[in-house]
Amino acid sequence: MATIDILSVSVIYAASFAILLVGYLTALSSKDVIRLLIALEMMFGAVFMALIPLFSIAHLANAAFGIAIITIFASSGELLILISAIVILDRQKKSIYTSAITIGGDRV
Amino acid sequence: MRSRNSHSMSGDVLLLSALAGVAILFSLGVLVSKDNFYSSLFMSVTLIFVAAVYALFNLQPVFVLIVFIFVGAIGVVTVALAATYRSEPERQVSRFWIAPVVITAFIIGFSIYSYALFIPQPVSPSEIEFELVNFLSITEYLLIVLFLISLVVLLLLSVLKIVIGGRS
Repeated sequence: MATIDILSVSVIYAASFAILLVGYLTALSSKDVIRLLIALEMMFGAVFMALIPLFSIAHLANAAFGIAIITIFASSGELLILISAIVILDRQKKSIYTSAITIGGDRV
Repeated sequence: MRSRNSHSMSGDVLLLSALAGVAILFSLGVLVSKDNFYSSLFMSVTLIFVAAVYALFNLQPVFVLIVFIFVGAIGVVTVALAATYRSEPERQVSRFWIAPVVITAFIIGFSIYSYALFIPQPVSPSEIEFELVNFLSITEYLLIVLFLISLVVLLLLSVLKIVIGGRS
């Protein structure tokens, strides 16, 4: 078992921020919605990594496990919805490029 | 005066840094690659390395959840989607890069192994003490591990089929 000290926590947070940054850059440079989906999954990966130090507090370990389970299932559900949205976008617009999306949000 | 051990990095921190570094490198592969199919593969490997950090801290339940729910289900669907909407099937990198990559990986792996082997590790008082006590007996646990490994092989077979189908 690896020990978790301040150096390990620093490495974990630095890697998490780096992956999150790469996810942001990928999302900003994406020309189609599949690349956007990949970027979103990378961001969730960074969030999972940032959860690790929570397990090092003894009385919070079980709560951290619950948070990890909820995060994994919630993000998986969110990504499944995005995947179905991509399929619907392709059926409606015959294109998966982000330039095909001209309007967003609900109509009031 | 501080001891020599307090200055030297322990093997665990080194292994953690190596895992995190490889995860960041694969995430950079997502950004650099122009083909969505390779980007999704790099993304899956990045998430597997993030899960490996959990395994390093003996948090196997979270490792299993990330690898089999997030990478196994969502990641493979993303790979399949990227393979379906693929526009550039040709190879981006020359095959000649395989040899230097393998040699570099061997040198880095051996240096990390020898560093952790020959330098004594300092004992730190704080460890993650999370475990599912009496969750399963050891035989059932081994059986589940066997099932999970076969599931991984099945998942990889489907990805392999997509790769072979894309080339032919």
